[in-house]
Amino acid sequence: MKQITVTVNGTVYELQVKSWATLLDMIRDDLGLTGTKEGCGLGECGACTVIMDGKTVNACLVLAPEADGKEIITIEGLSRGGQFHPVQEAFMEQGGIQCGFCTPGMILSTKALLDENPNPTDEEIRRDMAGNFCRCTGYTKIFESIKAAVRKGDT
Amino acid sequence: MVTLYRRLPRVEYVQPKTIEELLALRAQYAGKGALLAGGTDLMPKLKRREIEAPGCLIDLKGIPDLAYISNAEGDGLRIGALATLRAIETSALIQATYGILSQTASSMASVQIRNRGTVAGNLCNAVPSADTAPPLLALDATAKLMSQKGERIVPLDDFFIGPNKTVLSDDELLVEIQVPRVLPHSRGVYLKLTQRSSMELAVVGVAVMVSARNGVCENIKIALGAVAPTPMRAKRAEAVLRGQHFSEELIEHTARTAAEESRPIDDHRATQEYRRDMVEVLVKRAVIETISP
Amino acid sequence: MEFSVIGKHVPRVDAPEKVTGQARYAADYSLPGMLWCKVHRSPYAHARILHVDTSRAQRLPGVKAVVTGKDFHGWSWGWMPETRDEPPLAVEKARYLYEAVAAVAAIDEDIAEEACDLITVDYEELPGVYDPEEALQDGAPLVHEGREKNISIEYHWNFGDVEKAFAESHIIREDRFCTSRATKGYVEPPAALAYYDPAGYITIWPAKQSPYFHYRHLAACFKLPLNRVRVIQPFIGGGFGGTKNDSVAGDFCAVLLSKMTGKPVKFVYTQEEELTTSRRRHSMIVYNKMGAKRDGTLTAVQTRVIADGGAYTAIGPLTMYLAGFATTLPYKLPTYKYDAYRVFTNTPIGAAMRGHGITHTRFACEIQMEMIAEELGIDPVQMRLRNAIDNPKPGTMYETINKVTLKTCGIKEALNTVAAHPLWRDKDKAPQRRDNISWGVGLSGTAYLGGARQRGHQSCGAIVRICEDGTVNLLTGATDCGQGSDTVLCMIAAEELGVRLKDIAIKRVDTAYTPCDPGSYGSRVTILAGQATQMAAADAKRQLVRSAAETWEVNPEDIEIKEGVVFVTTDAQKSMPFSKLARIACYSGSGAVIIGTGYSGYGVEPLDFDTGMGNGGTSYSFTAQLARVGVDMETGKVQVTDFVIAHDGGRPLNPLGAEGQNEGGAIQGLGQTIYENFIMDKGKTLNPTFLDYKMPRTTDVPDIQVIDIITDDPDGPFGAKEASEGSIVSTPPAVVSAIHDATGIWFTELPITPEKIVKALKEKGDKKGHGSVREAKRMKERQET
Ligand SMILES: Cc1cc2nc3c(=O)[nH]c(=O)nc-3n(C[C@H](O)[C@H](O)[C@H](O)COP(=O)(O)OP(=O)(O)OC[C@H]3O[C@@H](n4cnc5c(N)ncnc54)[C@H](O)[C@@H]3O)c2cc1C
Ligand code: FES
Ligand code: FES
Repeated sequence: MKQITVTVNGTVYELQVKSWATLLDMIRDDLGLTGTKEGCGLGECGACTVIMDGKTVNACLVLAPEADGKEIITIEGLSRGGQFHPVQEAFMEQGGIQCGFCTPGMILSTKALLDENPNPTDEEIRRDMAGNFCRCTGYTKIFESIKAAVRKGDT
Repeated sequence: MVTLYRRLPRVEYVQPKTIEELLALRAQYAGKGALLAGGTDLMPKLKRREIEAPGCLIDLKGIPDLAYISNAEGDGLRIGALATLRAIETSALIQATYGILSQTASSMASVQIRNRGTVAGNLCNAVPSADTAPPLLALDATAKLMSQKGERIVPLDDFFIGPNKTVLSDDELLVEIQVPRVLPHSRGVYLKLTQRSSMELAVVGVAVMVSARNGVCENIKIALGAVAPTPMRAKRAEAVLRGQHFSEELIEHTARTAAEESRPIDDHRATQEYRRDMVEVLVKRAVIETISP
Repeated sequence: MEFSVIGKHVPRVDAPEKVTGQARYAADYSLPGMLWCKVHRSPYAHARILHVDTSRAQRLPGVKAVVTGKDFHGWSWGWMPETRDEPPLAVEKARYLYEAVAAVAAIDEDIAEEACDLITVDYEELPGVYDPEEALQDGAPLVHEGREKNISIEYHWNFGDVEKAFAESHIIREDRFCTSRATKGYVEPPAALAYYDPAGYITIWPAKQSPYFHYRHLAACFKLPLNRVRVIQPFIGGGFGGTKNDSVAGDFCAVLLSKMTGKPVKFVYTQEEELTTSRRRHSMIVYNKMGAKRDGTLTAVQTRVIADGGAYTAIGPLTMYLAGFATTLPYKLPTYKYDAYRVFTNTPIGAAMRGHGITHTRFACEIQMEMIAEELGIDPVQMRLRNAIDNPKPGTMYETINKVTLKTCGIKEALNTVAAHPLWRDKDKAPQRRDNISWGVGLSGTAYLGGARQRGHQSCGAIVRICEDGTVNLLTGATDCGQGSDTVLCMIAAEELGVRLKDIAIKRVDTAYTPCDPGSYGSRVTILAGQATQMAAADAKRQLVRSAAETWEVNPEDIEIKEGVVFVTTDAQKSMPFSKLARIACYSGSGAVIIGTGYSGYGVEPLDFDTGMGNGGTSYSFTAQLARVGVDMETGKVQVTDFVIAHDGGRPLNPLGAEGQNEGGAIQGLGQTIYENFIMDKGKTLNPTFLDYKMPRTTDVPDIQVIDIITDDPDGPFGAKEASEGSIVSTPPAVVSAIHDATGIWFTELPITPEKIVKALKEKGDKKGHGSVREAKRMKERQET
């Protein structure tokens, strides 16, 4: 067991974790934040995407002990006081969601993309979202959601 | 008996704070400890039990200042063991002078993986398709290895010895990748052939660095990925063009020679024949691209 | 008709839960004291199980129970009573690699996995058979003893005299087509949390798109009355048919382990378990023979299908039915013969997937029709228009030779729409070649069924409960696995009742409360659960209107409800908010209960597997599609740049959702056309990861335009037909035809990988012309009129 201190969605947690537990296990099992999904466990689908110290990572490939001292944002940390984040709003309005299993990861990757590059080209959107696999939508409405989020950011 | 595991095997985890401490641990665990950089190769392999579980994972990330990308003395590029693929992709320094490297990094995996995965990890993992290997080979890179016994500098060309095998010994660490200065009139390109346009391992990877003046090929380096047990230089092919005037015929000859030099295998990603044919196509394209205005 | 809710752009009703991470999927459930189940699997694709030793696993601290095949006492399941050949855990033989053999329950997943490793099984390895055509040979190893030639299902259907029709044809082609080994590829692997409580009730939260299948399986397996099986449906992370319409080993094991231990038990498969052991799409070899007159009029189709069924029958009888019955759509076909063989092999099980059955044979027919058009020098659009079925006049029906009946058919309008699109119209204006890239545009025109029939209980039900404040609870047994049906059903209820969409609330299936429903497959939900919802809403509305009529002392016929307002058409003075009427109705007498119920009434006559005669669906959708591709003529890499999809889904009730379904289906279709394929070696799947089983990513998809063709089918709620499967049928032929346009080569084997393209281009360079065209031009003088 390892003792770690980690900030998740603004709250500081002191946790005992198994040294071989992943950040995903910690978020889901220890903190009960099940919005972060496991699709493949191998870094291939992006369903487990969280933002760690400002950068998106696959929580399934990060060890829980590696998160010691880090600041993490999960999907549960995006909306504040009942207010949706503009990216969340855009996905709802544009139909960028079907089954919803990829959605938390998609939204966090979009947020990270727009934080870094507030006005991405279509090509940049396609390139930067490649780590988030969606089987349902065929991506068209996801692209539209991201572009709508860009417009919301402009106003 | 088959179990398809969702959990990682039980391993210990340590995070040394200095290189000395790390090298001591490395020596102490010998074959029973594995270095952990970004974990993007190690974690999937452990989960799928492709490798025997080490007793302990020794995390490099506790060591400060290993993520550097520098060209301090202007005498070449130095990439620290913890420099991520994303850092290589977005570094202004690399984009300006070693564009082939940022271009290569951007062709790899996903943003999430590139945020974690390191160049050093990509090399040490040593799969034939490791994308950073061909451009670094074409750039004549060397690897600085360190252990409690001391340091050694190994040309990348001698670094790989087989699939998943390098000259690294159990107590060593790759601390730095060194890339010599590139001549102002040289250009390079990495072409990665894949079925989809992202999230793919290379079916064939071709890196070409050319220095050309007045229509003459002053120097050329060609390196290939995924077509031999290790990433490889195509030295016979280089010799065809080196010192010669570029001509379509010679470029085709070079490309054919590279294809002959390659030693691909059949696997579930492609057949040997296709890979060899594609070496020819990509080498030709890469050379033409580097000399096009 | 003027609609208040139908046809409007509305976000999904479950969107807020999904964007905030609050939507809970099966793996997100846990209970105090819960145990973890892990499945132990066979290392052989075909082996006799001699002995299973679980003693070491049982002794491992933390392990609470271990089960093997024998613990299910010979129970097995299947889609029909005659085909119940699949045991929860293998008993005598393992018939495919990684088939489940035993399972453990332990206090955590680490221990469960470790315990699985401690189970030892003695096997006698048997010779396996991995190819359906080899499996049909005499002397091939038998996957199931006593099943001659490994035939799992066979159908032989005849409609008209094909021999005579071929003899009279101007041109005949015979070709072999082959479809890929594809799978659903959803992101959420199978998972469930199960609790068999001490009172003898099962409660389970499983990842199922058709919970009522599972409900019956569990009742049968555990010999319980149905009211003791409670399936509570979580959110579902994608379905697409097959696995989530069925049960998996983990489901049965978790329930049995829970029964044995008295604790809740949970399992979560890995994606590798999903990709190596779950149900896949059948891969099919289609030997197709097609005849036509000189003017392109089709005369006959003769199809022989050999499908790789894998180790068990599962839903195979329906697959083979669907692959055959719909060949008479969307083109007029005077004669047709169908011989189908579903064959057992030692590979994972072939089953349903979006575009079920039809995608294989339609692909073969579409491409063959294009080949014939090419040989006859007829434009592909004209070829199709010449044969396409006309839209029947209102009140009439079109009947195919196998007695499939259509009341609406938008194929001609769809074809004309895409043919007028600049992408097609101007395709010869743009240069075809730039550097190494050759561009091509292709077209298809296809059909799919909606409101699929099956056997047994096939009605969907709905309950509309009016709350005293005028809000509404909608209960259905239908499952939204992502396709958006909850939203559409709420829209239907709101429209029918005359209330606002936000006044309707829907929750997921709970078999203890919701009405029985066959499930989410065969594009049934909008049509059949939609009809049930409309009827239930109408029933509730009747009760409310009666109450209003009494209050106002007017005729019920004079009362209307629209957008939350109740009014009398003949007296402008009389109106009240819906909420007020609800209160009046609910508080009448000593208090009343206003509940409307309804169930769909279509599909009364069962499927006829022996003759293939009759309807497979309630109604039929039609799709015409364009695809534009760029083919790298040196590397064979294909980039698809544009899709235009003209879809006749009757009427899109929720345009945003219908568009999303068309787009998603098309991209899955793209995957199976150029990327997706399991590479198999003696029953072993060599590419069981998302890196190597290549599904389209953001970088690989074209720009998609969806155009609605509105035909308003009388058999669907507010005119709706299906919208979720048509495009997975229309995409493969459109893309193959575009690749042909770019390369001059007809590819008949999916997926068309870069390597196949390079090989074919090489061969074409050697010898002029392509393929083995057996062109039988009948010199027989025109015997026909
Ligand atoms: C979904 C996915 C997609 C991928 N796509 C690509 C791709 O397109 N191209 C590609 O080439 N790779 C790809 N990879 C592989 C991987 O991401 C890269 O190889 C990455 O660069 C590995 O770096 P890392 O820091 O994560 O290595 P780690 O996993 O931390 O380490 C890899 C190996 O190197 C050893 N090691 C690490 N650092 C050192 C050091 N300094 N000294 C000595 N030994 C060391 C480790 O012990 C381990 O054996 C992909 C992986 C995934 C999961
Ligand atoms: S679950 Fe982490 S990438 Fe798929
Ligand atoms: S919405 Fe289902 S995977 Fe993206």
